[in-house]
Amino acid sequence: MRKMILQRLALGVLTLWLISLIVFAALLALPGDAATAILGREATPDRVAALRDQLNLDDSIVSQYLQWIGGVLSGSFGTSAATQEPVSELLSARVGNSAFLVLVAALVAIPLSIGLGVLMAMRRDRPVDHIGSTLSLVLAALPEFVIGIGLILLFATSVFQWFPAVSLIAPDQRAWDVPDVVVLPALTLVLAVVPYISRIMRGSMIEVLESEYVTMARLKGISEREVIWRHAVPNAIVPAIQVAALQLAWMAGGVVLVEFVFSYPGIGQALVGAVENRDMPVVQTVTILGAGIYVLLNLVADLLTILVTPKLRTSAR
Amino acid sequence: MTIEPGMRWVDALTRRQALRGALGTGVALTAGGVLGACGGDGDGGGGGGGTPATSSSTGDAELKPGGILRVGATGGGAEDTIDAHRPTSDPDIMRVWNMYESLAVRTPDFEELEMLLAESIEAGKTPKTWDIRLKPDLTFHNGKPVTADDVIFSLRRIVDEKDPKVGAASIGYIDAKWLKKLDDRTVRVPLQFANAGFPDDLGQYFNAIVPTDYDPENPVGTGPFKYDSFTPGEQSRFLKNPDYWEDGKPYVDELIIVDFTDDTARVNALLGGQVDAITTLPASQIANVQANPNFKVLISETGAWQPFTMRVDAAPFDDNRVRQAFRLIVDRQQMVDQVLSGQGRIANDLYAPYDPAFASDLPQREQDLEQAKSLLKQAGHEGLSVELVTAPVFQGIVEAAQVFAEQAKGAGVDVKVRKVDSGTFYGDNYLKWPFAQDFWATRVYLAQVAQGDLPESPFNETHWKDPRFLDLIQQARAELDEAKRKEILVEAQTIQHEEGGYIIPYFSNIIDGYSAKLGGFVEAKSGFPFGNYWFKNSGFVA
Repeated sequence: MRKMILQRLALGVLTLWLISLIVFAALLALPGDAATAILGREATPDRVAALRDQLNLDDSIVSQYLQWIGGVLSGSFGTSAATQEPVSELLSARVGNSAFLVLVAALVAIPLSIGLGVLMAMRRDRPVDHIGSTLSLVLAALPEFVIGIGLILLFATSVFQWFPAVSLIAPDQRAWDVPDVVVLPALTLVLAVVPYISRIMRGSMIEVLESEYVTMARLKGISEREVIWRHAVPNAIVPAIQVAALQLAWMAGGVVLVEFVFSYPGIGQALVGAVENRDMPVVQTVTILGAGIYVLLNLVADLLTILVTPKLRTSAR
Repeated sequence: MTIEPGMRWVDALTRRQALRGALGTGVALTAGGVLGACGGDGDGGGGGGGTPATSSSTGDAELKPGGILRVGATGGGAEDTIDAHRPTSDPDIMRVWNMYESLAVRTPDFEELEMLLAESIEAGKTPKTWDIRLKPDLTFHNGKPVTADDVIFSLRRIVDEKDPKVGAASIGYIDAKWLKKLDDRTVRVPLQFANAGFPDDLGQYFNAIVPTDYDPENPVGTGPFKYDSFTPGEQSRFLKNPDYWEDGKPYVDELIIVDFTDDTARVNALLGGQVDAITTLPASQIANVQANPNFKVLISETGAWQPFTMRVDAAPFDDNRVRQAFRLIVDRQQMVDQVLSGQGRIANDLYAPYDPAFASDLPQREQDLEQAKSLLKQAGHEGLSVELVTAPVFQGIVEAAQVFAEQAKGAGVDVKVRKVDSGTFYGDNYLKWPFAQDFWATRVYLAQVAQGDLPESPFNETHWKDPRFLDLIQQARAELDEAKRKEILVEAQTIQHEEGGYIIPYFSNIIDGYSAKLGGFVEAKSGFPFGNYWFKNSGFVA
């Protein structure tokens, strides 16, 4: 087990390094550099030259990458080309805001979708199941920014004015200081992931409910509640864990679009701006962060799967 | 009338008060018509045909002091700056207008150059030397008086060869080494060549005056609002400058500028009451916002133009027949309707419509596909195929490219629209694309020529260098007699109209949205939202 974790972690680090190379290559392929991007329309040759000089962009692109990766190994993510501030300082507030958003969404989405999945499985082919299935198919088909815009129309501007339409967070505040700005973005994320997790939960739950040991348990006269929550759910949950982990990982990236729709000051917004600015250290740091979460969540999902599956648990020893 | 900018100047007062007093609410449209008539405007369907005059006319409302004004700006990001001399994005420019001031600036109606910090800017015997005299008793936000030394420091900081700022493109020709302090309030500015248009080149918001110990980390200016806090890409906060030189202004205690990269988010923030005013309301949203009694829309006709740029030294545009054919391809009214949703008026491939020397007598160019085809055939370019590079750097530009490509099919020209991101657009090929687009603010004619149509211009994107044209511009710059100068400039414009590299299909309106609780906004031909972003003139309605 320990060996497996170490192996996976090593592979994870390798993956991250490869990703940083790919992102670096992608940035290289983009025309223009930070100086021309920052100056924009004012990018006259002499102003570009002056700014390139200030930003040390005249160093070769490979040495810029080596500088960055060297910094990362010694615990520093470099200096943003656009703001001339350390990347860690620039991103710390935004990482907190994004993490809070994803966390709130996950804490709502996972129990909710597992509960819904169980409910639909138990009421299979009855109205609740049909309505739930149709709704989740519709939601799954909608891109999350459409869901976000719909929520804004409904709850912020046109119909009700219950929540802010735009997540303005003052620079000296964090998302948890002004929880009402988190409601609609979090709800958007919840609506985007619940369909997937609840459908997989429903499917595996139906399979389990039809299995022989559940019939056996019922025949033995165990109460229905115990049958469901003690015998059926723990066995049905394995595929749901995998899907939930994938969905959480997706959120780490999907948050980019949602943050854009709500102007939520998180890492997604920072990433969009940094790509436009050709701000290599910021783009690298944000993508590595996102990829790191992906790798980690997959590892956690695998571990959980092993823990809830006796067969795997014993063989792993 | 209480909120008119520049009321203190008698000449400003009489001229504009006459206009406004007589014409009442429809100021933007009517004043535009009057100006056009002065210039003998004879264009077919130009002058704002069909544009609704949504004059907000809060001009008469009583404003009360106090309150916090929150404004949503368009764009911005981590690259935002609060440096007086480096504004690039909409929020940057908004900050500069409110925190700093230049010596002079065009009023929102563009009728005159209003003196701000300067009392006068006067030419010596010839327009090669100029004397700038400061108003008395001006102070910076930190209480330090504004002196000739600060003016010299600021001008040198702008044109600094090692680190040229935005304004270097407009006043790079001052002889910075020989700037001379005549007394505490007077500076003598020698130019490298005679230029009667110097006051207008100098009178730009980005040529602001900062103190000799200026530190952008802890910025100080003379504007109506002083610095409080600034977070790039998010928001900046300013407090009322209690010692501002214009009595009774600003009205509000606090000004907060919030960045919005997304149009929808900006409009939603207004509708949801999270900000009180926003710049660039998308034309599609006008009806929606107007229908709500809690909000108002401010539509300004401007001299802002978004041209297609053809490089006169690159094939196929090095042949003037091709340039003419491309100009004949454009159905201008259709472009205004489709691209701007009617929020603009057609143009005639010439800029600076508010300049007294604007050549409004030249015949309006209309779409003529047969003529275009025949010109292309003569030039040996039947079945021509060209690439048009576009980027979403200004509202409507990408759409204009698509409409142009569609219209070009009528003349048998295959225009391939290549949409790139702004980083690519302004990358290594910037100012070198054979066929691309750009956007420009309202300027007077000579100032615009200096920006984009001289060999030494920083933004000569069409690579225009016609010797006859250059000769005329030099003559005009040295000429202080207005009537004679106009004659020369009309000739220069005739050359541009016949052979230039710009296709200028229209002048676009700017559209702002704001809460009905606010008043004091005026239309701006200058092309800057909310009447030159002058929030000193606006406040909450009593």
